[in-house]
Amino acid sequence: MPRPLGITSLRILGAIRDGIAFGLEIVRETGMPSGTVYPTLGRLKRRGYVEAHWEDQDIADGESRPRRRYYELTSEGREALAAGAARVASLAAELSRGAVGAEEST
Amino acid sequence: MRTSPARWARLLIRLASALVPRARREEWMDEWRGELAALHAERRKGSRGLPTPLGFAVGALPHAIWMRMDGWAIDGLVQDIRYSTRLLRKAPGFTVVAASTLALGIGANGAIFSLVNGLVLRTPQEIAEPGRLVQIARSYETDPRWDNLSFPAFRMIREEARTLSGVAGYSPDPFVIGEGANTEQVAGQYVTGTYFDVLGVRPHEGRLIQPADDVEPGAHPVAVLSHALWTRRYGGDPGVIGEVISVGAQPYRVLGVAPPGFVGVERLGSRPEIFIPLMQHPGYRGETLFEHWGASWIYLFGRLADGVSPEEAEASMELVSARLREAAPVNEGIEILLASGVGLDPRDREAARDLSAILSLIVLVVLLLTCVNVANLFLARASGRREELGVRMAMGAGQGRLTRQLLTESLLVASLATLLAVPVILVVDDVLPALFPFPLSVSVRADLRVFAFLATVGLVAGILPGIAPAWVSARSDLCEALREGAATGTPARTRLRDGLVMVQLALSLGLVAGATLLGRSVMNAQSADPGFDADGVVAAVIDLSSTGRYDRVQGTRLFRAVLDRARETPGVRSATLANQMPLLGGHSRASASPVDREEVSFEAEYVVVAGDYFETLEIPVVRGRALLGAGQEPERVVVVNEALAAMFWPAQEPLGQRIAAQGETWRVVGVAGDVQMRSLRSRPNPAIYYPLGHAYSGSMILHLATEAGTGIGAAEARRIVASVDPQLPVATVVDLDSAAAASMRETRTIGFLVAAFALLALVLAVVGLYGLVSYSAAQRVREIGIRIALGAEPASLVRLILRRGLGIALAGIALGLLVASGLGSALGGLLFGVTERDPVAMGTAAMVLLAAAGLAAWIPARRASSVDAAVSLRD
Repeated sequence: MPRPLGITSLRILGAIRDGIAFGLEIVRETGMPSGTVYPTLGRLKRRGYVEAHWEDQDIADGESRPRRRYYELTSEGREALAAGAARVASLAAELSRGAVGAEEST
Repeated sequence: MRTSPARWARLLIRLASALVPRARREEWMDEWRGELAALHAERRKGSRGLPTPLGFAVGALPHAIWMRMDGWAIDGLVQDIRYSTRLLRKAPGFTVVAASTLALGIGANGAIFSLVNGLVLRTPQEIAEPGRLVQIARSYETDPRWDNLSFPAFRMIREEARTLSGVAGYSPDPFVIGEGANTEQVAGQYVTGTYFDVLGVRPHEGRLIQPADDVEPGAHPVAVLSHALWTRRYGGDPGVIGEVISVGAQPYRVLGVAPPGFVGVERLGSRPEIFIPLMQHPGYRGETLFEHWGASWIYLFGRLADGVSPEEAEASMELVSARLREAAPVNEGIEILLASGVGLDPRDREAARDLSAILSLIVLVVLLLTCVNVANLFLARASGRREELGVRMAMGAGQGRLTRQLLTESLLVASLATLLAVPVILVVDDVLPALFPFPLSVSVRADLRVFAFLATVGLVAGILPGIAPAWVSARSDLCEALREGAATGTPARTRLRDGLVMVQLALSLGLVAGATLLGRSVMNAQSADPGFDADGVVAAVIDLSSTGRYDRVQGTRLFRAVLDRARETPGVRSATLANQMPLLGGHSRASASPVDREEVSFEAEYVVVAGDYFETLEIPVVRGRALLGAGQEPERVVVVNEALAAMFWPAQEPLGQRIAAQGETWRVVGVAGDVQMRSLRSRPNPAIYYPLGHAYSGSMILHLATEAGTGIGAAEARRIVASVDPQLPVATVVDLDSAAAASMRETRTIGFLVAAFALLALVLAVVGLYGLVSYSAAQRVREIGIRIALGAEPASLVRLILRRGLGIALAGIALGLLVASGLGSALGGLLFGVTERDPVAMGTAAMVLLAAAGLAAWIPARRASSVDAAVSLRD
């Protein structure tokens, strides 16, 4: 696997883990600024960890709003998230030096 | 309005979309529109944890930038940069030469720009709203000028000018601070109580001078220190505030410290280090100045009242001028003028603009030269890379891609050059003021603007040299490039290289001619007759006014004693005291007119003299007699110079005429030759020499003419003064020879710069020509071999090769003469005794260029003619 993912990328992948999300939802979920979220999404897409697709025009028309672009994890994205979460967990364990409550990784 | 933030957000997104690559822009806009609509919908529902629309939309900018970079990455720009870096690293010699050549051009431009920036562009940070300040000056309908004002005039302008919210003034003066061995002379200013308020300056420590500190003459012994003086002399100790220090041998209480970087409102001149209330001014010529309409000594500025435009304020000065004209007869014809902003007065602005234009022109020529030189280097290299480029085209690289590759290379070299130029820019503040012909009070340290300029110049320097090889490669034929042994360059490339070398030769001829013009000016000035002979004259300034211990009577007595002591000193041929020194400081002027004809009143040079003034400075007395000793003149008599005599009594005998000046009548007893008082380049001003005793100045300069080889100098001058009053500070001791030299400093400085750049240009041009001729000779090696085998004489071969090089050189010289005459006109104001198109300068420059070009072409021609026919044909 190429370079391991940073915390920002992991948090974004985590925010879309359970299905699909559009940008604003990720911004709200992570609390990160939009100027960080969107370029990171672009980078994750380029690495093949997320896929983007446009929602049906009909749905948007039905709610009379512009259509949205949704992001979804690919299987590579899931793997990368799992590996990253494990790495973070072991790092947390190392930092707290055996303190109780090491987090469980998915 | 509720809709306003949303509109801003949409506008921001639309602006940012310009950065997104076109192919993906529509999609990108759609996504952001969708997100923004969702945000609005959510906010309307009252959901928590949402950003504001504007804060959210700001994120579109980094996203767009990322899209752009991503686009480049796909297009292979990153690859281009990596490839170029590898190529340049493989040719370190080429890279270093190209980058350091460009660094010279970029650094020179950056240095001159930081000067212009400090002098003209930068607004002082310490002054509040400097754009609302105006300079106030005095002029006359009949005699336009830009001059300072008297105290009563200041008072009247302050009261009458309704369009100004405040009026303030200052008068620069040197101050002696400390006692005994700890004495130091610093530049300072007497300032009005309104000075700091009008400027809107805030104290760094303590408080600043306020209106209540400037009410009664002599009643406010308080001082404000500059930040520089405070840190240098008092170690930045806040404890000095409230302490009493010695200023001009009198106790002054320190009120506070001005903010760092505050240097008053002037950008030229010495940096003031101490500020004293105006009311503490001791007066000079033994009179108090505060009721004196005729004594102009205060520089004024004001702040525009709210809502008043500079034009309205200017118009309102009509009324103020009228009131001044009514107030005193000496104000006859006076006009009060305003000029927006402070820093440089209108005359200095003009001078600074001219100087900046000349320097910018010169460094621009240097930048062009370095670009041309680097373009030539690239071209020469491109010749060697034709096969590589041909292969890449054969592999399917598009023309655009190749052009971008070549441009990337030259941009990389220029970036390296810009980095190399940065250290040059960082030392500018230390080096440039020493080279600059006037003292600078402002800092010329590089700021953000200078670095932005540097980056722009770097970009231009990166694009210009890259265009040439890119242009040529666009014209090269793929098949021809791949054909083995295609030895001659394409016609396009050859013509372009010839043209570039020609331009180089032309530009360097222009610079050589400019340097010769300025050099001849300096030489002419050195042999010019300034009207006096300063050989071996030493001068020392004795300033009584800052001590406060001498009034007019005691001062006159002291000066007489100093003069007597000087005359007794062995080795001193003659001695004199005068308040002015030709070409150096102490200039003062005063109104004078022929008695009964006050309408021809003129501000003539006011020279108070004692001792053998005309003899010491070898100024001829052409009619009548010189003035007698110190105070030996029983009557009020004066000597005038020829310029004044011609002005006042054009067709009459000046001797015996009467002059009204200083409220007295004076009889002319002698006429002296004209002297260049202010500058060698200006015409002599009308001057009146008054005898000490009847006239007075608290600051006099002791001049000693010494016998050759006596070794009498500065130390002796100080000893003479100290023998009369040991506590008296002797400020500056100079010899007049160096003053005459300093008068031509501007011309000399620019001449030096131009000469340095001319030398650089010459070397670059000669190297270019040399490279060109060697290259073409190398390409004709086979042809030359055949000619030798057929029995050609070496001399005829030298001629063959030389012909092309000299042809280019002659064309370059012809073009260069045009450049030179253009540069000559630009330098016009700095020239002395030579015309702008001086044939000697032009001829010299052409000869130098021809000789250098001949040598540059002859060496490779000579080498080519000695090739071994067998070797050249075998290869």
